[in-house]
Amino acid sequence: MSAAPLPEDGTGWYLYGVVPSRGEAPHAAPVDPRGEVVTIAEGRLAAVASRVSLAEFDESALSERLADTEWLEQKIRAHEQVLETVLASSAVVPCRFCTVYRDEGELRRFLSEHGDTLADTLARFDGRVEIGVKAFVQPPSDSRAAQASSGRAYLEARREEQRRREELGAFQAALASELHEVLLAAADDGVALTLQSRDVSGRDQEMLFNGAYLVADSANFEQAVAGVARERDGVELELTGPWPPYNFVPDELGQA
Amino acid sequence: MSRSLQHEVTLLELVDRVLNKGVVLSGDITLSVADVDLVYVGLRVLLSSVATLEEQAQLAAGGAQR
Repeated sequence: MSAAPLPEDGTGWYLYGVVPSRGEAPHAAPVDPRGEVVTIAEGRLAAVASRVSLAEFDESALSERLADTEWLEQKIRAHEQVLETVLASSAVVPCRFCTVYRDEGELRRFLSEHGDTLADTLARFDGRVEIGVKAFVQPPSDSRAAQASSGRAYLEARREEQRRREELGAFQAALASELHEVLLAAADDGVALTLQSRDVSGRDQEMLFNGAYLVADSANFEQAVAGVARERDGVELELTGPWPPYNFVPDELGQA
Repeated sequence: MSRSLQHEVTLLELVDRVLNKGVVLSGDITLSVADVDLVYVGLRVLLSSVATLEEQAQLAAGGAQR
């Protein structure tokens, strides 16, 4: 498919993230292949952005596009790929997917209005990446109550199960907070995220903990994770990343 | 877990970040809450259909170690 060039008007700037102004534009494929990823410098900061067609990204068109999972996956991966390319050589404050400006002036105004917060955040992110950690445990074995021969045995089995479940719940909560503490000690910062259910995690095991950490020394952090996994039988840890520090964007910029 | 399911799960991990986190307070055009919901509905359908396909494939293959 040979794409026609972007029209003279009807385009906007898709913003991937913000970098220090000395940063170079990354060599990565943009969300709209007809554009090119560039940096737009404003004072100490620069936007990493590319031109997109507003026919594709404008609010009226967007909800229809979002229902198209193929389009969505392609664009989301392009967004992430640009940011990961940037991350390899520079600190970056990542923007949410589909942050679009109708004109460059508005984009520059955002950079100057939030200049201090963005610069502080970049300083905090310098040399750091986000690493995701999920911990899994085997779910408790199947119900014995279902096999009970009498009503009384059934009730007893149910009570016993209830008691075990409570014990297990308390044990897992303690384990999760202990885990978070150990990992936090090997990181600059960390947040506990919402647990994913089994159908979302795609695993048979139950998710015990889900967290994200801002990490300067990945090797050291991975060692801490490996140590935690060794010490605790039956707990499986899964690492993801390195990610741009999405989870560490300050509330001032990050809350809708 | 097979490759394709792993692929979708990683996509979800990515979606959780790019849709809900990062600089949200910016842009003339941004996703609305309804848009985000829409994306998740689509992805859940995608995920569950991949998972179902795989279960069926496993059953067809004799269930392997089950």
